[in-house]
Amino acid sequence: MSEYGEAANTEYRVAHLEERLAAEELGELGMRVEVRGTTVSVRGTVPTTQCRDELLHVVRDELAGLTVHTDIVVAETTAPDHPEELA
Amino acid sequence: MIRVAAVGDIHMGKDSQGLLRPAFDTLPDCADLLLLAGDLTRHGTPEEARVVAREVSGLPVPVVAVLGNHDHHDERPDEVTAVLREAGVRVLEGQGTVVEVDGARVGVAGTKGFGGGFAGRCGSEFGEPLMKEFIRYTRRCADGLRDGLEDLARQGCEARIALTHFSPVPDTLAGEPLEIYPFLGSYLLAEAIDTAGADLAVHGHAHAGTEHGMTSGGVRVRNVAQPVIRRAFSVYHLHGSEASAAA
Repeated sequence: MSEYGEAANTEYRVAHLEERLAAEELGELGMRVEVRGTTVSVRGTVPTTQCRDELLHVVRDELAGLTVHTDIVVAETTAPDHPEELA
Repeated sequence: MIRVAAVGDIHMGKDSQGLLRPAFDTLPDCADLLLLAGDLTRHGTPEEARVVAREVSGLPVPVVAVLGNHDHHDERPDEVTAVLREAGVRVLEGQGTVVEVDGARVGVAGTKGFGGGFAGRCGSEFGEPLMKEFIRYTRRCADGLRDGLEDLARQGCEARIALTHFSPVPDTLAGEPLEIYPFLGSYLLAEAIDTAGADLAVHGHAHAGTEHGMTSGGVRVRNVAQPVIRRAFSVYHLHGSEASAAA
């Protein structure tokens, strides 16, 4: 495969990952998935730890063989400690 | 002073039950009403809506909501709406509701809204029927929001809030890729807000955006998507109604 073919292949795999995250159980459209040099980064916030586990499973499956860096945050559910004054 | 709690994009599923309730139970101490800015579920199923309904059921503050795009995914928004209304949630789409706070009338007008983009970089009613319908749908949402806000003014509300899922301004999208802005909101929503007047505009949808923005007419905009505010909800204290008069 040519160098161009390798790059294009990674881009399509990233696009397929995004389609799968939206279409499957997660219904996840909020991930930032980017090709960075020879690696792929996946970043974003998910509602629960179960969602994070499922997301990481799908990412590993869809991007198998690629170096993937993930930064997946679980949404915080604590009450705020102060209001904003809109004077 | 009116204390407004708001959150959007809570994306509840069967594994979410009880996660937000402890924070919601503190609402009577810090807020007069709770706004839910859409994407309350992941796929818009009635089952997920029941999780949301149980999470807010019986709260001692009024709960006002709009649906988001996720709440439409299963193509049963009427059922989702019915489940939420049964739990006492006031679900808005193109209309308003009035909440009494210590004798003051607080009006909330809501619509899910839709995309299309922002002035100078937006879609238009041109070409294929699907493209024309895309923009016309957003325009209908914006018209409903404007009508709701104007009706609240006629009802003598001391404060009026515009509640949407999609964003009325690009300010609160900062952090999102520029390429997807047309899918995150529309200037038509901001135009409706500025035409009818409001004291605050609240939206969700843009998980990677920022909290603070403003319409070109000077109405403060807050993106309350849970990943943005990084807590169960935000609280805003509204003082006076200097922005209420229609422009």
